[in-house]
Amino acid sequence: MREGYFYTIGFTFVSSVILTTILAVTNAVYMPRINQNEEIAFKGAILYVLDMHPTTKSEVVSMFAESIQQFQLAGIDVYARRDENLVIHSYALPLQGSGLWGMMEGYVGVSADSQTLLGIEFTKHNETPGLGGRIDERIYKEQFRGVPLGNLPIVHTEDLNAITGATSTSNAVLRIVNDTMNKVLPKLEVHHERRD
Amino acid sequence: MDGGPAISPIILLFAAIFTSNMVLANFLGMCSFISVSSEYKTASGLGKAVSLVMIVTTVINWLVYRFIVVPLGLDYLRYIIFIVVIAATVQIIEMAMDRYLPDLYMKLGIFLPLITVNCSILGISLFMIIRDYSLVQSLFFGLGSGLGWWLAISALAAIREKIAKNKLPLGLEGPAITFIITGIIALAFIGFSGIFIIQ
Amino acid sequence: MRDAIKQSFRNNLWKENQVTRQILGICSILAVTNLMANTLVMGLGLMFVISCSSLTISLLRNYIPHRVRMIVQTFIIASYVIVVDIFIQANYPELSRALGPYVGLIITNCIIMGRAEAFAQKNTPFISLLDGLFAGLGYTIVLMVIAFVRELLGFGTLFGRNVNFIGLETWTIMVMPPAAFFIIGVMIWAAASMTMTRDKKAQSAPPALRPSEVKQASATSATAQ
Repeated sequence: MREGYFYTIGFTFVSSVILTTILAVTNAVYMPRINQNEEIAFKGAILYVLDMHPTTKSEVVSMFAESIQQFQLAGIDVYARRDENLVIHSYALPLQGSGLWGMMEGYVGVSADSQTLLGIEFTKHNETPGLGGRIDERIYKEQFRGVPLGNLPIVHTEDLNAITGATSTSNAVLRIVNDTMNKVLPKLEVHHERRD
Repeated sequence: MDGGPAISPIILLFAAIFTSNMVLANFLGMCSFISVSSEYKTASGLGKAVSLVMIVTTVINWLVYRFIVVPLGLDYLRYIIFIVVIAATVQIIEMAMDRYLPDLYMKLGIFLPLITVNCSILGISLFMIIRDYSLVQSLFFGLGSGLGWWLAISALAAIREKIAKNKLPLGLEGPAITFIITGIIALAFIGFSGIFIIQ
Repeated sequence: MRDAIKQSFRNNLWKENQVTRQILGICSILAVTNLMANTLVMGLGLMFVISCSSLTISLLRNYIPHRVRMIVQTFIIASYVIVVDIFIQANYPELSRALGPYVGLIITNCIIMGRAEAFAQKNTPFISLLDGLFAGLGYTIVLMVIAFVRELLGFGTLFGRNVNFIGLETWTIMVMPPAAFFIIGVMIWAAASMTMTRDKKAQSAPPALRPSEVKQASATSATAQ
């Protein structure tokens, strides 16, 4: 019976239905949580590049709601941070470009006068774990805080090190940041001066 | 696909062969890489078979993912779907080859069943999806990865044949020295990095 | 029963360790062994998948039709991997981002299929579960040793914490792929020579598959399909 044609087909069919159902249920149960994580990651990234450091997930949401304002500038989403007196403190701009292996997406924070870089963070990338993937580590990201934007392009220096063993990824990060700065900063400066 | 990485397919092809070789840099397909590399002819045959299956499955998986998995929202089932596609593709290639290319089947046929469980095949499909490659990029990436795997296993097998008769310290024969040779080959391949500037 | 457990423990951790003895399943996880934290997560994921799939396959061992055995096993394994993947995504989003497609590649890890074929489908559920767990544990330990060496020498850190107190120059090659091959080669060498010296039999290391065996193996799997 175990080798019968109908038994084989029936067994395969029933087992795939059961397994698929289990997976569909698991997926449905966790989906809201995964989506929520993504939202937190996105808001957290914006706050991080603007040098704000919430400690809990709920703080991420409340801080974002309180001080971040989104607007469009030449077709890109820009996030402005206002301080307590509603004065614009800084802007977060989206970063996008090809990394070593695929698309990299993230955000970069710049001061309101466009003179200083406040921080970078990548929300999506496909770099090798442990090598290029280390662009997610604090020790790498923190180097970008306070880098002057007066004379572009930004290059690797004593204070801004590439990641050991992942030179191509590090170069790609600088290239993406420089491209974004060249493209968006002039517009941002105009916008900042003309603002209400 | 809009929004994908702007990496030239040709660069992707060479990067997949040399700088990011499937086995030497990503450790994919290690099992058969180590166990089927003691003889050059066999290794090269397996390499060709892997290349063939890799190209075909990347294209099919890309189409399946883009036109079936994504529209139906079955993203979470993609691993199973890819595995089924790979197993079915291997089976079909085997039957078609047996029927129309009996000579080639005699040479490569015996390797085909081994390939279904080769990590590199599934790996390529997962990489191309997660990196948002276009169909053309995926095709070149699959081709390059296949050729790179073939090149690596051929090189290893050729070296192993040469040292087969040498006397080695106790316990170093077999797998141990194979890994060390692989390490040296991988080290040599690092030399290629930097010659293709991505973009 | 207790003996069986003990034997399974000893075999999987040392005598027949999947990595150092049987050279199996090195594929996917070796890629993340330059950081201990990533390796640990992948190891735990693998242990979960291998124990659960061994248990399931053992429970179903009298019902799975022989002809479609492989595909059913793959299905079961893939389902558990998907569960792990979703779990990591939901609870540890940063890790999920760092590990990328490597979690999915646990499916093709030869050890899981190997334990299913060699053990789970012939044994009772409980012992199969333990066998899977020990095989996964033996595997994880070996990889953790590799990760320890690579992270320590390559980055001067352990689990991301700086331990390089005397400021030694870190060793870039250790974080690059070739180092993994060298370390694993040396470990297999050490394991093989230790056994051989002790046994005094001076047998050569387990030979790699010869072409004739490949033909045989593929013939068996071809008939199995």
